[in-house]
Amino acid sequence: MNIPFREGSKFFPTLKCSSRLIAFALTLVLSLPYVVSAQEAAADAGGADIAHGETVFKNNCAQCHAITDERVVGPGLKGATDRNNMDWLIKWVKNSQAMIAAGDPYAVKIYNEYSKAQMTSFPGLSPEDIKAIFAYVDNAATAAPAEAAAGAAPAAGGAAASSGPSDMFMVVLVALVIVMLLVLGVLLVIVTILSKAVNGGDSSASEGDFMGRLTKSLKGVVSDPAIRSAVIWVFALLALKATVDGAFGVGVQQGYAPKQPIAFSHKLHAGEYKIDCNYCHTGANRGQSAHIPSANICMNCHGVIKKESPEIQKIYTSIENDQPIEWVRVHNLPDFAYFNHSQHVNVAGVECQTCHGEIEKMEVVQQRSSLTMGWCIDCHRKTDVNTKGNEYYDNLVQLHASESQEALKVEDIGGLECSKCHY
Amino acid sequence: MKLGNLYKLIGASLIMMVFVAGCGKDPQSPGKEYAPNMYVSVGYEPFRQVEANPINPMGISMRLPVAGTVARRNYNTEFGTGDSARVDLMVYNLHADSIDVAARILKNPIPLNEKSLAEGKVLYDRYCQHCHGATGAGDGKVGDMYKGIPNYASDAYKNMNEGHIFHVITFGKARMWPHASQVTPEERWKIVHYVQKLQKGS
Repeated sequence: MNIPFREGSKFFPTLKCSSRLIAFALTLVLSLPYVVSAQEAAADAGGADIAHGETVFKNNCAQCHAITDERVVGPGLKGATDRNNMDWLIKWVKNSQAMIAAGDPYAVKIYNEYSKAQMTSFPGLSPEDIKAIFAYVDNAATAAPAEAAAGAAPAAGGAAASSGPSDMFMVVLVALVIVMLLVLGVLLVIVTILSKAVNGGDSSASEGDFMGRLTKSLKGVVSDPAIRSAVIWVFALLALKATVDGAFGVGVQQGYAPKQPIAFSHKLHAGEYKIDCNYCHTGANRGQSAHIPSANICMNCHGVIKKESPEIQKIYTSIENDQPIEWVRVHNLPDFAYFNHSQHVNVAGVECQTCHGEIEKMEVVQQRSSLTMGWCIDCHRKTDVNTKGNEYYDNLVQLHASESQEALKVEDIGGLECSKCHY
Repeated sequence: MKLGNLYKLIGASLIMMVFVAGCGKDPQSPGKEYAPNMYVSVGYEPFRQVEANPINPMGISMRLPVAGTVARRNYNTEFGTGDSARVDLMVYNLHADSIDVAARILKNPIPLNEKSLAEGKVLYDRYCQHCHGATGAGDGKVGDMYKGIPNYASDAYKNMNEGHIFHVITFGKARMWPHASQVTPEERWKIVHYVQKLQKGS
């Protein structure tokens, strides 16, 4: 369309302009199907390359970089190929420190932006590897919106389905109550009809008569001395049992679940994230106390994770003020009974849950076992000694085998002796 | 009326029974103790304290050890048997920034054998696995949330030597925080053995 006006020097710029327009229009038209079948197109273009890139990325980069624009340790890699050309990227991945030292402006800028954290150099990666990484990243960037849309529907469905068993329980309970009320109603109706039939269908007298007879018979029951004394005895015995139970409950703290100064959840840490108990309770294998973790152990993760949570802010405040956190001790053994964690955990190999219950499912820790002497003794009678690979027990096992056919129990090595625990 | 009194009596006892049976234990209260003075230790205990300590700062019974104290109680000092036996106090006076020095001079005093490797695995599962993953690929459950966990077997990490690994466990590196308070030097060296196995991608 510009051709009639073309004129020497003007020709080239106009053509350039129009070719750009055409290119743009072409891109637009072409990109329509491309967006729809981005993944297939990409797979056609270099599926092997992308798959290779994914492997290399996951092995080397995923720890610090996301394929989106999210900042993890280093910048998100989405659009990295737009920000810099491939030669620059290859040089950077192979040895970023050399580039910073050489004063490359963008290298220095990004180094300062990420608080001078050095990126690991990867001299072992070939240019093909690095190209494959960015092919994978670019492919993921175009494919991501489609996947997100596809993933949204099942996610919503999942949320609705996960309402949980407690609702189910409530429904069953309500249904039961309704059924019982119905049965009661039906019974009353039957009783009324029967009494009507007995009275020969005299409807006006029947109702009053029914209530009257009910009262009369009840009075008869109450005034019967045998029934009266039986009721009194039952109540007296129940009261005695309650009193005795209460007396035995003195000093037993089973069910104690105090509120802690920080709402720490064992369910989340030990249950969901599967952090070993010993990671925080470092003493359980080494000494008498399992230890309440010091704040530096919290900081091993929470120096980074969920820093803004008000509960975790309490740990920060505690560290800043050098003020210990006043955790409430849940399992209190009286001073006259000696207990050592390492003997049970390290030597005997007892699981934490054997005494503490399903800690990994507790939002608030509760004392599940009674921790009474009977409870200790019971276990010492039943439990075999963990003698495997422990030469300390060799002679004891021999001696025991010469006297008894049964396995060596804790009671056989003094597990019931008073002075083992009380001294 | 006599009958009325009996009704009242039964009613009252019924209500009382309901209260006795129904109120149960308050989870916030540890309940009654028969002789509290026998339950509570007279001497100071580190992890149990009922009243504020009038002498120590902040009212706690625990005190920090003197600065520079080296705990030795649980340390073995002899490792290996026969000719390869060696004595090592495992007291290293290296600065947190001296990772290159550590990589150069620290040597694992614990002989590599099946037993030490198995112990290393137990300790690794206990102290490292939730971030670094069971195979050292950086894919532990906490690691997914924490981010920035390397794969031991990747090019940049697979050749890191024992001194380097020991120093990282002791003082941390990059996003990892120091774990010296949780694992003793002896345990660290056992973990080093196991990590070096994982570096080979097995």
